[in-house]
Amino acid sequence: MSAHPSREEDFDLYALGALDADECGPFGEHLAACPECAAKLTEAKGRIALLAFAAASVAPASGAKQRLMARIDADAAAAQLPAKASVRSEERGVGFSGWWAAALVPATAVLAIATVVLWQEKNDLDKQIAALRNSVTTEQEQLSNSTKLANLIGSSDTVTVNLAQRPGMPKGVAHVMYNMKMKMLMYDGELEAAPAGKSYQLWVVPMNGNPVSAGVFQPVPGQTDHWMMAMPEGLVPKAFAVTIEPAGGMAQPTGPEVLLGAAS
Amino acid sequence: MERISQRDESALAELYDRYAGMLTSVLNRIMRDAQAAEEILQDVFYQLWRAPERFDASRGSLPAWLVVICRNRAISRLRKKNPAAGDELVDDMVPLRFHLETEVSQQQMLGRVRGALESLPGEQRAAVELAYFEGMTHSEIAARTGDPLGTVKTRLRTAIQTLKRTLNA
Repeated sequence: MSAHPSREEDFDLYALGALDADECGPFGEHLAACPECAAKLTEAKGRIALLAFAAASVAPASGAKQRLMARIDADAAAAQLPAKASVRSEERGVGFSGWWAAALVPATAVLAIATVVLWQEKNDLDKQIAALRNSVTTEQEQLSNSTKLANLIGSSDTVTVNLAQRPGMPKGVAHVMYNMKMKMLMYDGELEAAPAGKSYQLWVVPMNGNPVSAGVFQPVPGQTDHWMMAMPEGLVPKAFAVTIEPAGGMAQPTGPEVLLGAAS
Repeated sequence: MERISQRDESALAELYDRYAGMLTSVLNRIMRDAQAAEEILQDVFYQLWRAPERFDASRGSLPAWLVVICRNRAISRLRKKNPAAGDELVDDMVPLRFHLETEVSQQQMLGRVRGALESLPGEQRAAVELAYFEGMTHSEIAARTGDPLGTVKTRLRTAIQTLKRTLNA
């Protein structure tokens, strides 16, 4: 067996995939024969996985969850039909023998064609059901969001913060509504299009600690940007700000403030 | 995962709600293509539904496992566009000292990791990001940045030492 890696960070570099082939090969051979080093590599993989959090936060596409669930439903429905067909054909098969089987060949062919046609029809129906279910789920989500919004707007604990345009910055107007009891935050505003290669980013500026991102957005002129999100646990806002950041957003604000409003 | 093994669709929906944001972020960063990112995300959750026994809770953390699978697949897909690129990466269990099961814990980890990366000099951070999000090796990073190979190796090694110290603290 070759020697253990000379440096501890080699495990992380291997887990990261940064080692070139000439370094990787001997390392891989050693790992296969050394449980101690294999355990260190496994630990390093956990550390490296955390780098995923360096990516700017992006919400899943609208309807992505419904598409996944519809795919699973359609899959389950398709899997049931052949199983039932198989059980039925086995039941019918009991007692068949000799010339009966020969006489029934044409009938079997007709039945097979009919089965295929029925199966296709069933698949079409499954797709329609999945689409309808998808639509119902989307509408339920919209209704749920509308209810949450109505509750947020109607609650006496909700605080509205008007965000004022900073001098010399792109024109815009926006407000944030938040409710510490409901742990909800809502942004609503209109801004000029972001400069090329840039995004706007909303920040919650807490009483203590660093600002926390509350959304990255690219306004379409003339349209209102609007979203709701959960207030991060334990965060007491001092102010809300919108800054210009590199496209996709940053972990902490780096660009100029476009809009700013103090939370009361 | 037990509920998923019992074909409980609501359990998969809950799992999706819990981790889809985290995974979408990393997939979008790697693929820079929202549709391709969603395809990978859908496939991973679909396969998790079809074969939940592939995950072994006694050997690893589910969110870390999902991150590793998503990253590996995204990079593998990127590399297929480049005929000179390497092999498929292997999916395996990943233990984690941290909990990432709630949105709050994910937000806390997000702050911690981004804080650690921001503490690195720009060249070191860029090298880590090229390796993690683009799947580049030392040589590939050197070719991309135009820096000597030795410099790139030193940068990545130093960055890893710092990150390891910070994240283990």
